[in-house]
Amino acid sequence: MKNSLTITDTTRIKSISIGGKVIETHEGESVLETLERQNIEVNYNCREGFCGVCRTKLLSGSVDYRIEPLAFIDDDEILSCCTVPTSDISIKFEY
Amino acid sequence: MRYTTFNQKTIDTMIEPMFFGNSVNVARYDQQKHPIFEKLIEKQISFFWRPEEVDVSKDRVDFGKLSDAEKHIFISNLKYQTLLDSIQGRSPNIAFLPIISLPELETWVETWSFFETIHSRSYTHILRNLFSDPSEIFDDIVVNEEIKRRATDISKYYDDLIFATQLFQTRGEGTYEVEGENHVITMRELKKKLFLCMNSVNALEAIRFYVSFACTFAFAERELMEGNSKIIRLIARDENIHLTSTQHILNLWAKGKDDPEMAEIALECKDQAREIFLTAVHQEKEWAKYLFKDGSMLGLNEEILSSYVEFIANQRMAAIGLKPEFEIKSNPLPWMNNYLSSDNVQVAPQEVEVSSYLVSQINAEVSSDDFTDFDL
Repeated sequence: MKNSLTITDTTRIKSISIGGKVIETHEGESVLETLERQNIEVNYNCREGFCGVCRTKLLSGSVDYRIEPLAFIDDDEILSCCTVPTSDISIKFEY
Repeated sequence: MRYTTFNQKTIDTMIEPMFFGNSVNVARYDQQKHPIFEKLIEKQISFFWRPEEVDVSKDRVDFGKLSDAEKHIFISNLKYQTLLDSIQGRSPNIAFLPIISLPELETWVETWSFFETIHSRSYTHILRNLFSDPSEIFDDIVVNEEIKRRATDISKYYDDLIFATQLFQTRGEGTYEVEGENHVITMRELKKKLFLCMNSVNALEAIRFYVSFACTFAFAERELMEGNSKIIRLIARDENIHLTSTQHILNLWAKGKDDPEMAEIALECKDQAREIFLTAVHQEKEWAKYLFKDGSMLGLNEEILSSYVEFIANQRMAAIGLKPEFEIKSNPLPWMNNYLSSDNVQVAPQEVEVSSYLVSQINAEVSSDDFTDFDL
């Protein structure tokens, strides 16, 4: 029952560390939404996983995609607009 | 290597490269070498829209109230976008289809180009509403020096690839003299031309529309020309998908996930690719200067617009593995994101005149409950 495990997992509060800051997620929030709530400037355009503007380096941890991403992302990158952390994560903006 | 519209050889498209392999025969999508293109087709089609759905009639009144400098900005941008979509509505088809080897990529290119033709039709829709005779505006596109300079730069990579492909597909590899000029046609040269062309198209989709988009949305921020803005928002959403597709193609090549020779070429021509991108950035800044020659508009001037171009250029350069060129780290026009976000484009059908509401529809789902108050 891998699925049910994942679901229980995402409802727990996770932390996102970015540039020396550690912030807590709220239930159901995407990484982008969490960052915005903390007034961290994030690049985005479409918020739907197809433009790739919110591409972010995932340094550690894991995420789940709420929508299938269509934009190009490298193996160590995530799209913040459509991912939810499934563990504490550490991320970095590249540009 | 003559082109055939239905290759009668049995080919395994799972091992074909994206370009310059065997020409496609069956348009089948049950097996895909690069499934991303099929996903992009689905997404793009789900965005289908018609210019006529958007009511632009209120814009005519707004337009009358604009200053002459603002009118110049508005009309010049429409002309430039008309040029861009005139090129994009045909060129991917003519340049890429004859050399594509994967059915999903072939259909993607056709879908992509088709949407560019919707954009072209929407410019006529906008201009017809503003002028009783818009022909003067369209006629100027081929004589306006500022626009012509950009047209030359955009079309030359396409034209180069198309011409070399024609020589290759009619005569094969070799050196040919045409109209006093020597042309060396080898597969390697063709692939280089393809690589440069794809970079030029990528820069077009990444950068060239955005000065114009920014002006449109700056008018909308002042609640002016909102019909136009609604249309440009739909166009911007489409262009973002198109950009994603060229980024995928370039990255598939560079990362050796398609044709190994293209991976070599990507490395060999990296400086040229960078140059193509930076030329587009430079030309867009020049365009901003031309737009504001008679004066700026509220909320926007040449300087802010140029730094916005640099800002998005950094992001889009990084997306294709080029080192970002510019210092800027923060978005100088944060409100642009509201207009480029897909959520904000999806307006309730009853608020806009969506086509599916215009034509009569039948609900084909009938349950037994529907007959409860029905007596014979």
